[in-house]
Amino acid sequence: MAKILAVDDSASMRGMVAFTLRGAGHDVSEAENGQLALDAARGGRYDLVLADVNMPVMDGISMVRELRTMPEYKGVPILMLTTESHTDKKMEGKAAGATGWLVKPFDPEQLLATVKRVLG
Amino acid sequence: MSKAGLAQFQQVFIEESLEGLDTMESSLLALDNGGDGELVHTIFRAAHSIKGGAATFGFPEMSSFTHEAESLLDEVRSGKREIDGAIIELLLRTVDCLRNMFARAQAGEPLNDAVAEGLRNELAAMMGRGAPAAGVQARRNVDQADAWTVRFRPHAGMLAGGNEPLRLIRELAGIGELTVTPELDRIPEFAKLDPTECHLGWTIELKGPAKRADIAGVFDWVEDECDLAIEAKHIVAEVAAPVAAPASPAAPVANVADAGAARAQREASAESSSVRVSIDKIDGLINLVGELVITQSMLDTFREGDIDAARMAMLEHGLAQLARHTRELQESVMGIRMLPIASVFNRFPRMVRDISQKLGKQVKLELVGEQTELDKTVLEKIGDPMVHLVRNAIDHGLEMPDKRRASGKGDTGTLTLSASHRGGNIVVEVSDDGAGLNREAIVAKALQRGLIASGEGMSDEAVADLIFQPGFSTAAVTTDLSGRGVGMDVVRRNVSDLGGTVTIRSTQGKGSVFTITLPLTLAIIDGLTAAVGEERYIVPLVSIVESVQLKADAVRTVAGGGELFRFRNEYLPVIRLHDVFGCETSIRSIDEGLMVVVEGEGARVGLFVDGLIGQQQAVVKSLEANYRRVQGISGATILADGSVALIVDIAGLVRLQSRRKAA
Amino acid sequence: MGSKTNPQRKTGEARVIALPADFRLADLADVKAGLLQALEAPSVELDGAGVERVDTAALQLLLAFRRAASAQGLPASWVGVSETMRDAAGVLGLTQALELPATMPA
Repeated sequence: MAKILAVDDSASMRGMVAFTLRGAGHDVSEAENGQLALDAARGGRYDLVLADVNMPVMDGISMVRELRTMPEYKGVPILMLTTESHTDKKMEGKAAGATGWLVKPFDPEQLLATVKRVLG
Repeated sequence: MSKAGLAQFQQVFIEESLEGLDTMESSLLALDNGGDGELVHTIFRAAHSIKGGAATFGFPEMSSFTHEAESLLDEVRSGKREIDGAIIELLLRTVDCLRNMFARAQAGEPLNDAVAEGLRNELAAMMGRGAPAAGVQARRNVDQADAWTVRFRPHAGMLAGGNEPLRLIRELAGIGELTVTPELDRIPEFAKLDPTECHLGWTIELKGPAKRADIAGVFDWVEDECDLAIEAKHIVAEVAAPVAAPASPAAPVANVADAGAARAQREASAESSSVRVSIDKIDGLINLVGELVITQSMLDTFREGDIDAARMAMLEHGLAQLARHTRELQESVMGIRMLPIASVFNRFPRMVRDISQKLGKQVKLELVGEQTELDKTVLEKIGDPMVHLVRNAIDHGLEMPDKRRASGKGDTGTLTLSASHRGGNIVVEVSDDGAGLNREAIVAKALQRGLIASGEGMSDEAVADLIFQPGFSTAAVTTDLSGRGVGMDVVRRNVSDLGGTVTIRSTQGKGSVFTITLPLTLAIIDGLTAAVGEERYIVPLVSIVESVQLKADAVRTVAGGGELFRFRNEYLPVIRLHDVFGCETSIRSIDEGLMVVVEGEGARVGLFVDGLIGQQQAVVKSLEANYRRVQGISGATILADGSVALIVDIAGLVRLQSRRKAA
Repeated sequence: MGSKTNPQRKTGEARVIALPADFRLADLADVKAGLLQALEAPSVELDGAGVERVDTAALQLLLAFRRAASAQGLPASWVGVSETMRDAAGVLGLTQALELPATMPA
């Protein structure tokens, strides 16, 4: 079981991610945007952060950049939830410090496989 | 995850997407009016969320459709394309089309139609290319070999980014048998080593038949964070077979099999409506309940011991506190159903734009009090009457630019929608600075229609009120906007169904104000309790005109058995509640009881009751839900003594009465 | 999951470094500080029996440490290696370079 933070402004997407991961026995927290995710991350260490790219208040890329400045988030996997059309976003996310990405649309099985992949 | 698990988020997705579409629409309109570039990001974000979610939640058609719009927006966002009226127009139609698609999704119908197909082509054309050719796939020759050498040297920052060679090499081990040789020559001196950097490298021999793509796939996230060389040791074949489709091919089949179940799910969720409640409101409720519990335990101490003067004072204090908390709790619980009127107001910018363009009028729309909250049920039903009033105001109220200029006004007319709380009511006003009502035209029309015998001596209010009479229309030419066979009478009826009233104030040449007054909620009504024999009935306060005590000879029986009485200058039919509802009462003579003059469906009648007991707030309980529908009764409530009182449905009684008359 | 950097205590002449349960990148600064001090000791014993989570960065740190120790002629030996650690070293091909003992006495 891992502590996972799911960040997405879309309640449906966030809900689906959290629901799927909880079903797999993980401890999932949710945040609506990058800023709230940072607040959550400061309050406790997560083993994995899954974040949407486009969000109001603070987008996923800025959030990753901020997270990577925190010593306790060095090396922690952070995956961007992104869409195929945005190859440049993947690269921007990577440049900011993201570990990898999960391409939308994804189904619960793909999500679990990817999470398993990073958590080992 | 089960399909049912997914379905629960499908409904949430549809709800948030509809909100997203509203945002897109209002932002597009703001952009059209010279709004700033930040709006483009807002619009993009909304489109992007819909696209991303659509495919995940089982609407691939919508996803690919939105994709076109998103690409267009992306070009605007990144400055590659200037936004103009044509793009805004196209995107607005895209918003409409998506709304329709969501409606079809909720109904379980196929999402694509000719409109969607046409729009998709238009979007693609706008992007400067045709519809994407079907079936084009990136094809790469598949390198296949039964032994590979992988040289993998991470850049220093790779580890901090969360990519772990342990994981990568373990994944490789899933492809074939590995021999891993580390490169240790770049590790710096211990004291100088930054432990977060990576200075290791590996040469990995992989045995077993494998495709280059599978090996490269392991490293897809770190392409730009490492030096990677993948070399085949024994080339088996150059195969030109098409690459397997990236999405699992089994998925569509599964979708077909589950379509029935998914549809049932969707239908079920489409019917159940929900309210989103802010955490603040819930916290407030929890606080109140907490206080209630404290008060209750305080009052509990009075179970034992004598009550002297001091304790009596405490008891009174406690009871007062209980009353206050109960009232606050009631208000808070009602507050959960309260939503800002903004969701209704927000449909008007688009509508006003479309109508005024069609009519060649210039209209500026002002929204005031968008955050005013009202009951969700009222909110859902207030839209139609407002649409009618707004159409009417643009169509009949506001003048053409040249006519406005002639009367010394600016070319652009102003239409204001405002909402506010006044007392226990919500007041929604639709006002315009147009021509105002034309008294002569209205009187002439009313005479022609036989609604009045003469306009002489009629007050301006009475004349204005004529436009709410069934079948009244003053427009010289019936336009396709307002002239849809729906008149102001329908507006009045819709509003009165909500327990509200609609009135008009108008000044010729200056404009008109339509005022809709609505109860805050439909769950509680203010009413007068009337006694009929042993029974108690609640008469909604909004319907009551006056109560009068009549002399026995004031009521005349007309042919057919109906009774009439004179009230001011008209004869009103009498409805004896004891007759209608079959109650035993000794009070049958008109001078012994009370005549309550009420108004409903635009008509007045007198309700004959034994007497009035008092005014009270009644929490409406549905009779249909607990028993069955009863004509003339809108619900029930529980009185302070625990007995049940029925709430009189005035409009229903009036209808009942007119049917009797006809029979 | 709090990481603990264990105190170094003297066992006779040798200094024992107990590696933390969560022996990963984010917590390596403390471990490195402890190891730097240990380079001053006459001999060092590494205790990895309590390591529950380990990553490449941690093993790289140990590699660099063992090199520094052997360059100084400082004896550095293992007193415990967890299964997790042994497995990770195996995957990365570092078992030999880290001189992990084939089997550990309990």
